Amino acid sequence: MELIEQFQQAIVNGDADRGADLAEAMVTEAEVTPDEIMDSLARAMEVVGGRYETGEYFIPEMLRSADAVERSLAILEPYLFKRRHDQAGVVVMGTVKGDIHNIGKNIIISALRASGYEVHDLGVNVSTSKFINKVKEVDADLLLLSAFTTSTKPALVDVIKALEAEGLREKVKVVSGGASHSAELAGEVGVDGFASDVKSTLAVCRRLMDQRRE
Amino acid sequence: MAVLAGETPDMVPIVPVLDGYFAPKVLGRASDECWLNGGCLADCLAAALERFGYDGAVAEMGLGPQPSVLGCPVEVEGNDVPLVVENIIGGREDLDRLELHDPWAGGKMEPVKRLIGSVGARAVVLGTVRSPFEYAATVRGLIEFMTDFYRDSEFVRDLIEACKPATLAVGRALAQAGVDALVIKDSFASSSMISPAHYEEFAYPAEAEAIGELKTEVPVILHICRNSMPILPRMARTGAAVLEIDAPVDLAAAMEAVEGRVVIKGNIDAVAVIEKGSRESVEQAVLSAIAAARGRGPFILSTGDSIPISAPEDNVAALVEFGRRHGKYQGAEPWS
Ligand code: B12
Repeated sequence: MELIEQFQQAIVNGDADRGADLAEAMVTEAEVTPDEIMDSLARAMEVVGGRYETGEYFIPEMLRSADAVERSLAILEPYLFKRRHDQAGVVVMGTVKGDIHNIGKNIIISALRASGYEVHDLGVNVSTSKFINKVKEVDADLLLLSAFTTSTKPALVDVIKALEAEGLREKVKVVSGGASHSAELAGEVGVDGFASDVKSTLAVCRRLMDQRRE
Repeated sequence: MAVLAGETPDMVPIVPVLDGYFAPKVLGRASDECWLNGGCLADCLAAALERFGYDGAVAEMGLGPQPSVLGCPVEVEGNDVPLVVENIIGGREDLDRLELHDPWAGGKMEPVKRLIGSVGARAVVLGTVRSPFEYAATVRGLIEFMTDFYRDSEFVRDLIEACKPATLAVGRALAQAGVDALVIKDSFASSSMISPAHYEEFAYPAEAEAIGELKTEVPVILHICRNSMPILPRMARTGAAVLEIDAPVDLAAAMEAVEGRVVIKGNIDAVAVIEKGSRESVEQAVLSAIAAARGRGPFILSTGDSIPISAPEDNVAALVEFGRRHGKYQGAEPWS
């Protein structure tokens, strides 16, 4: 098996030690391009997400792979991202005020990092002003809002209103998601995109980044 | 009580998970006021029982039984739920930061006694306590805890072991205060979160041990929400008298899986039906639950999980109304 395939397999299996060793090897010895590495990482997290959807993986298995992503990215990052424009995009993400669910958010963050995004994680129970300040500070391309309980709809609306008031609404694309989040709710709130699993989240983010570049 | 004693009642008992999340609404109080002031919570729980007329109240002691009993700071604001503000266990070296606080200290059991005093004569009163697995997840932080499963399984086991005294102390204190039964919450052990193999490895041993000790005092109800179907036969062997199951589980299949050896309590969807549904959908859900349970063994009609504060009171009233209307046992065989 090629190094890059072994690496992808290690991430899917959540073997952080092996993933780190292989990352090291790819950076130092092999002729693997940054693009190939990013592809394999993103594909690995899609496989992990898929296994969760089919019931083969549970939450600890997803967290194990997320951990393996973080470990190997720590080694790969200097090699992968030499300039800001190597990044797929700059993301600010957090769980909205009144909501403390963070598992899905963290999985998405790992998948985004694995796909080359620079992600700023604001944690849970995040106030509107914290979102706005961070978006300004890092000049974010995308703002991802996790909202797991439907009672957090007012918090979502509040963030959108604040973006408008600050003149940022056209600058940053907003995506929402979470366990009990529906496309319908996302539509009512007026975000630019909605997704319910790893694969569709990556696709939505890619599409919105393409739109921004146009 | 008849059901817990193994008898067949003439009606399906109704004991929804109407706890500290929803109760404040009944007296128009804010959640934080009630979580911090157990007396307020006790009054709201009693008022809810009075208003809706179901058969059992779920006693909560405010923040007492929360992880603060293990020295973990918890805060609550407005109508939000209580949040752990610091996960005190950063690693094995912090295990000795866990100190067990006396559950009786600061009058924390007084609200339970107050609730028993006001409704104990006409309804059962259930006390709530967390499992060692759930305490462990909470003091460590759920994500770190579940990442530890593969990183350091021995630490996971040691941490759970270190949390067991909290479950036992709170459980015993509640029993002494006079509750009729204990609900042990082991939500994170759900097959919606961890695999049945991890349930067996980490959650089950301490859960079964705690139940084994506490059931010598009062009967124990084991609550595992979301999908518990794959582990139900195992749950039925913990020594719990009642298994509380949630909406994703097929009720008839669950009752068949436990073969009448334990009481099944469930499993109306607290969010989809009680919070978001209509009077008609509540009736429909009650009818199908009662039909699924009929003839299959001892049953308590309940929601599958806590009723959220945003649920309309009319739907809670409808749950009890339709439970009474459709929940009469009529055959010669028990439970028919
Ligand atoms: C674990 C859990 C908890 C834990 C959270 C611990 C933690 N650290 O996160 C605890 C016990 C603390 C908890 C508390 C509560 N919970 Co809860 N919880 C869950 C549970 C069981 C699993 C959620 C989870 O982590 N799933 C695993 C992850 C990987 O999946 P996911 O969250 O769906 O994330 C995926 C996608 O949604 C997506 N995604 C996630 N975020 C984002 C963001 C963006 C931008 C995008 C694009 C995509 C995306 O990608 C992820 C990858 O697959 C769900 C039920 C369920 N089965 O979903 C209920 C659930 C979310 N909780 C619920 C509720 C009501 C509560 C409580 C109010 C208490 C209660 N009465 O039950 C409190 C609320 C606390 C608060 N204020 O936030 C409800 C919400 C219902 C609703 N319609 O509002 C649910 C659906 C359960 C139910 N009863 O139906 N909960």
